[in-house]
Amino acid sequence: MESKHRIQITVNEEEHDLLVHPNRTLLDLLRYDLGLTGTKEGCDEGDCGACTVIVNGKVMTSCLVLAVEVDGAAITTIEGLHQGDELHPIQQAFVDSGAVQCGFCTPGMILTTKALLDEISDPSEDEIKHYLEGNLCRCTGYTKILDAVNNAVQLLK
Amino acid sequence: MANFSIVGKRIPHRDAVEKVKGSAIFTSDIKLSGMLHGKILRSPVPHAKIRNIDISKAVKLKGVKAILTSKDVPLIKYSISPTWADKLILADTKVRYIGDEIAAVAAVDEEIAEEALELIEVDWEELPAVFDPLEAVQPGAPRLHDEVENNISKTMSMECGSIEEGFAEADVILEDTFQTQAQSHCSLETHCCIATCSPTDDVKMWVSTQAPHPLRQRLAATLNIDAAKIHVSAPFIGGAFGNKIDLEPAQALCVLLAKKTGKPVKIEHSRKEQFIATRMRHPTRCKLKFGVKRDGTIVAKQAEVVLDNGAYNSHGPAVLAYHNVMFSTLYRVKNIKYDGRLVYTNKNWGGACRGYGDPQASFAQEVMLDMIAEELKMDPIDLRLKNANIPNEVTANAVQITSCGLKECLTQARDKSEWTTKKAHKQKYRGIGVAAMIYTGGGSIGSGFNYSGATLQMNADGTFHLLMGALDIGQGSNTVLTQMAAEIMGVDPESISLTTADTDTTFPCMGTFGSRVTFCAGSAVTEAAHGLKKQILETGAEMLEANIDDLEMKEKKVFVKGSPDRSLSYAEIGAASFYKKKKPLVAHGYYNGPEVPPEFNPVTYEGYPSPALVFGTHLAEVEVDPATGKVEVLNFVAAHDLGRAINPLLVEGQIEGGAVQGIGWALMENLQFENGEVVNPNFHDYKMLTIKDVPKISSLLVETVDPNGPFGAKGIGECAMVPTAPAIVNAIYDAVGVRIKDLPATTEKVFQGLKTQG
Ligand code: FES
Ligand code: FES
Repeated sequence: MESKHRIQITVNEEEHDLLVHPNRTLLDLLRYDLGLTGTKEGCDEGDCGACTVIVNGKVMTSCLVLAVEVDGAAITTIEGLHQGDELHPIQQAFVDSGAVQCGFCTPGMILTTKALLDEISDPSEDEIKHYLEGNLCRCTGYTKILDAVNNAVQLLK
Repeated sequence: MANFSIVGKRIPHRDAVEKVKGSAIFTSDIKLSGMLHGKILRSPVPHAKIRNIDISKAVKLKGVKAILTSKDVPLIKYSISPTWADKLILADTKVRYIGDEIAAVAAVDEEIAEEALELIEVDWEELPAVFDPLEAVQPGAPRLHDEVENNISKTMSMECGSIEEGFAEADVILEDTFQTQAQSHCSLETHCCIATCSPTDDVKMWVSTQAPHPLRQRLAATLNIDAAKIHVSAPFIGGAFGNKIDLEPAQALCVLLAKKTGKPVKIEHSRKEQFIATRMRHPTRCKLKFGVKRDGTIVAKQAEVVLDNGAYNSHGPAVLAYHNVMFSTLYRVKNIKYDGRLVYTNKNWGGACRGYGDPQASFAQEVMLDMIAEELKMDPIDLRLKNANIPNEVTANAVQITSCGLKECLTQARDKSEWTTKKAHKQKYRGIGVAAMIYTGGGSIGSGFNYSGATLQMNADGTFHLLMGALDIGQGSNTVLTQMAAEIMGVDPESISLTTADTDTTFPCMGTFGSRVTFCAGSAVTEAAHGLKKQILETGAEMLEANIDDLEMKEKKVFVKGSPDRSLSYAEIGAASFYKKKKPLVAHGYYNGPEVPPEFNPVTYEGYPSPALVFGTHLAEVEVDPATGKVEVLNFVAAHDLGRAINPLLVEGQIEGGAVQGIGWALMENLQFENGEVVNPNFHDYKMLTIKDVPKISSLLVETVDPNGPFGAKGIGECAMVPTAPAIVNAIYDAVGVRIKDLPATTEKVFQGLKTQG
């Protein structure tokens, strides 16, 4: 068996010092080693976006990233957005707009939206669609997700 | 319009906060101590005899805790009905499709379980296979199930009126054949289950299912254990769309592995397994013949249908019945003939999939209607209006319609889409198309069962707890059903706590499918709420020494009309019921309807017994790129008769999601097989629509207020994708004159069509 590697990562502002197998994905590390099950696995092949997290400010599909590759990185998962009971405005917008049905795509959608709005505070519809193209949703038909992003822009103003 | 304070309000999903925080627990999020991981060995060949299975190497692998082959499991076949049972949880002598379950392994982790699968050696005798249902029915074709001649699992024939006389009356007769393809459900969460088994053989299962109570029954029957020893509980469900109704072999195997090892076992499908070895929409071939009068009256319609079953039945026979019912019941046609066959092939098998055969029926019939309108030089909407169903009619196939808003759907969609103007000023390469639909808005009691139960109790502090078997798979029933209870109890819906989808604590519910939960579980919830309200008033009358007829309930108080000072709070009533009277207030509601009418014929499905039927119209506007054949959907209007919208925000969500699934099926989704093997078992090659592909969808809610529905409501879930594909295909024809008769209407097909036009 290959030996474990030591990595240090910051997840939702909490530092972790971990020993991981070289083939451990970031997704499995988050879900099973750190118990952050808000990050979802929809395909494990980089095609659905359910496993999206923010790594050093950029969105990544965590099923395609090895834990050892993110040594030293700062990671935000869905659990890191709200402050206690207070939802992040993007989370609030998703709730209020009816953009959440089964909720399986939701964490990934919200984190991608966060990365988008951190970069472009008032995106055009094309920009929103471009950013969210990699996040599949089978329930909503995307209409209310688009509403949610637009509502989040207003809430963040 | 009735005045409600909570029903009819746009209230967000009550589970949404948990879901946006990432704290909502789905089955795959559960980790139990000592939990093992199960994996399934599946057939790599489409048709073969199993000579021998050798597990000797696999058992020796360190970390492997149990291996099951057919020798270790009850050889009891299942399907959704015992009459059609044809599937074993592990193949014994024969496999019938690529993906068929052969063995199951439990190991300390997934990697070891997978390694063990590779060490299992199977000695095959490959058999000739058949993949096309038309070939499968030919004499001499390879036979899948020994006892089934010509691979025909089921036939369904029905004639109403006289088809011959009908065609003799017709001025114009049109015939054509339409085909539809396999669609995968693509819920983002794959199937997942976790089972534990106590030393006393009590089984507990957490599972992603649409139907916990039927699952308990099916596990019991298939594993030959007492249902009372099985406790099924469904955490949050990451979408389902029909794929999580039937028993999955993985679920039964999970129980047996837990039993054998004494440890918790988890089995989670990979995305590939989800594509190749869980259910899909049945492909169909539908030959239609329609006879019409010059004025547009349809006088006869005939369908000859082949449903490609794949290797096993699951819901297949019922899907065939629904195909017939929905085809035959839509429009007022006196003379109808239907002949359908459900045919086995060596492929993945079909199952329930949003619309249950109706999208397939709708595609054929609604494209045919467009062709008729053209032939008669009649407006396609006028043609449909001419033949539209009306309230309270009994159709030729003996179906009783109660509320019906088909005409309103057609006219409102026409106005909203500016159909008339757009038709009059047609732009090049742009087109507009229409299609109508019928479906059940409350399941059906055709099987004898259409049950949902609910219990509402008043807690000692005057708050309420609702227990129901129905479960929310994302569509929002938890929100909608608590709205109904809250409306009757006069409280905030959020304040009602909930227990759902748990076989040990709730009354049974058939499950979430058939667009039945709002109607059936809603009927149970409203009955329970009215019962509890009566009890509260009775208790109040006794405590206030007043006549019950003089009492009113408002703002969590019971008081004597006209003397608000003579009042009791809910909290006082709750406390008194528990501590003084020692009789907590609790009421039950149970629905299992409608009464099966004497006209119901379970063979032909005439007199189809549904509590309510729903109607709708989709209208699509498209633009076709003449250089490539690429179709862009520009605008989409979906009008649905849903009785009453308990929560318009959530209803819109159902319509938008359904329409987008329908557009995907119309234009690109296609589970493709080559020699029985799925060649696109991933989201990269199986194309689902992304946010970039979707048009603006305008939902029109046509509220007909059904006489029997709770608050007048009927279902919506599945209905929203039924007429989508024909609306699009008709719009493509309007745009460029290319008539697509086999789905999907891919860019290549449209391009080919343009080329042949020259
Ligand atoms: S799970 Fe990572 S992209 Fe689907
Ligand atoms: S809400 Fe279910 S996949 Fe998006």
